[in-house]
Amino acid sequence: MSGRHPGRSRWPLWTLLAFGYAFLYVPILLLILYSFNESRLVTVWSGFSLKWYGELLHNRQLLDAAWLSVRIAAVNATVAVVLGTLAANALVRHGRFRGRTGFELLLTAPLVMPDVLIGLSMLLLFVAMQQGFGWPAGRGFTTIAIAHITFSTAYVAVVVRSRLAQMDASLEEAAMDLGARPLSVYAQITLPLIAPALLSGWLLAFTLSLDDLVIASFVSGPGSTTLPMVVYSSVRMGVSPQINALATLIVALVAFAVVIAGLSMRQSQRSS
Amino acid sequence: MNAAAERRLLEPWQDPKAAPFVRIERLTKQFGDLYAVDDLSLDIFQGEFFSLLGSSGCGKSTLLRMLAGLEYPTSGRLYIDGVDVTEVPPYARPVNMMFQSYALFPHMTVEQNVEFGLRQERMPRAERAERVSEMLELLRIAPLRKRKPDQLSGGQRQRVALARSLAKHPKLLLLDEPLGALDKRLRENTQFELVNLQERLGITFVTVTHDQEEAMTMSTRIAIMDAGQIMQVDTPTAIYEFPSCRFVAEFIGSVNLFEGKVVESSGDEVLVESRIGRSMRVRAFHPYALGTPVTVAVRPEKVRLCLDYREDGVNQLRGVVEDIAYLGDVSIYRIRIDAALPRVQMTLTNIQPRTEQALTWDQEVAIEWSPNSAMALSE
Repeated sequence: MSGRHPGRSRWPLWTLLAFGYAFLYVPILLLILYSFNESRLVTVWSGFSLKWYGELLHNRQLLDAAWLSVRIAAVNATVAVVLGTLAANALVRHGRFRGRTGFELLLTAPLVMPDVLIGLSMLLLFVAMQQGFGWPAGRGFTTIAIAHITFSTAYVAVVVRSRLAQMDASLEEAAMDLGARPLSVYAQITLPLIAPALLSGWLLAFTLSLDDLVIASFVSGPGSTTLPMVVYSSVRMGVSPQINALATLIVALVAFAVVIAGLSMRQSQRSS
Repeated sequence: MNAAAERRLLEPWQDPKAAPFVRIERLTKQFGDLYAVDDLSLDIFQGEFFSLLGSSGCGKSTLLRMLAGLEYPTSGRLYIDGVDVTEVPPYARPVNMMFQSYALFPHMTVEQNVEFGLRQERMPRAERAERVSEMLELLRIAPLRKRKPDQLSGGQRQRVALARSLAKHPKLLLLDEPLGALDKRLRENTQFELVNLQERLGITFVTVTHDQEEAMTMSTRIAIMDAGQIMQVDTPTAIYEFPSCRFVAEFIGSVNLFEGKVVESSGDEVLVESRIGRSMRVRAFHPYALGTPVTVAVRPEKVRLCLDYREDGVNQLRGVVEDIAYLGDVSIYRIRIDAALPRVQMTLTNIQPRTEQALTWDQEVAIEWSPNSAMALSE
């Protein structure tokens, strides 16, 4: 058989793979498992039960936080996709304009900037703005969304940019040659072809926002507590299996989104 | 002979009264310090199949892209059908282009691809459907109408690209290496098809190619380009038989070159004393001053075996067969005249079966050519 080296066993490779998977997924599996635990203690198994899911549904604080987080994440992802796509276009399609290197650097800087730094600087900015011209009045939904958009845009730009760069520029030229004006070319040719990247950019920005604790802690105000903040503070007072139940629901949601994104990517690859 | 009959004998580019369809006037395109197209002027006439031929980087593609409006010239003017289109954007020109990569829209079916240009000009639905069907029939791709580009072979994609660029009935069709991505067999068939199509539709074609055989087969006229400039514009026959300079002679086909000096010039013939000491009497475009350095160019198939070799013979050489390349229909013989000189090539048709041929390796031969099948060229 080709590709197999006689006399060389394959079990070391399999073991390595098993360890790798275990490292990544055993904690999540444990978390899911204990969400179905009867006991109040997170580390002692006493039988199967769905009662924590029931209690979760009646925990207003947790549900409100989850709803807030989802709304912020959706607004953030949508705005970030628009801004990130515009930035990617400028970088890929407009040649060597003046200040391109600076633009590129500034655009991607948030990728490597520590969250604490972004959070703090955002907080200072919002405070200064409120003092200066009264907007945004106080901190909450708006400020968290703005802070999230700031760094999500960078991620979206990276994703969309690579897709745009792969796209054959002569497709756009051909459309123009056939009589389509530039905006129409963008709507009819460019957008459909980079749609998978827009979708994965959106999902990425959504996840980044949903999961952010540090920046949100800086720029949130009274009455606007996001899900990660609630989870974090409740863990400090002792883990409730309700958190496990919530985490399980989120894992299910994320898995669903990943499958959808994967399918749409495959679909578009087949057609391009 | 009356005027009309005389007119018919003239090709449009020979007729001083004919108005050019495409007029390129002192066009220059600069990319930074590089002149991709350098002060180039050219007239192309209605119904021509015109080829821009040159090696890569000679500026032929840039010139084509300027005709399409995908690049704007640094200076110079461009007229199509009498209208100055120098600053007209690509979507407003009566010109369509077939791209080298075909540039078929991957998210649309064959039908939608062909229909794209018609939808842009808001042609009514019924008329549009009719035109699409007509194009699909013309290129014999109707059965593929519901397929996506990735479900097509290379040859089928080429047809779709052609159908799409012809659908709007452009006045001028630009083709960038139209056959470049096809395999040899398909390319030869498609060449003739393309010419038939062009004659049937009467659309002016301008194509870019680096394949001289392709240009020779298809074109009414060829422009040989080098370093952003045109070296010669002429019919395929004239380009091959009467190259205007050494570059063109060497670019098209193979050629034997002998450097020498003019020792006698009369009318359209010159006598050249070549550096190897043999005298050659050949055609010339114009009279030369005595002593002018020139290059004598002789095509390998114009060289023949010499039966009456004389020491002072004109257009005669003697040497030894060094290499034989057997190509089936013809054989190419490489003959060593002098160790320091490039080998002289001679092509002979294999009238006899190979085994019965007279010439063999290391055999001494005498060769010659007639005065009117060779040319004197200045640099």
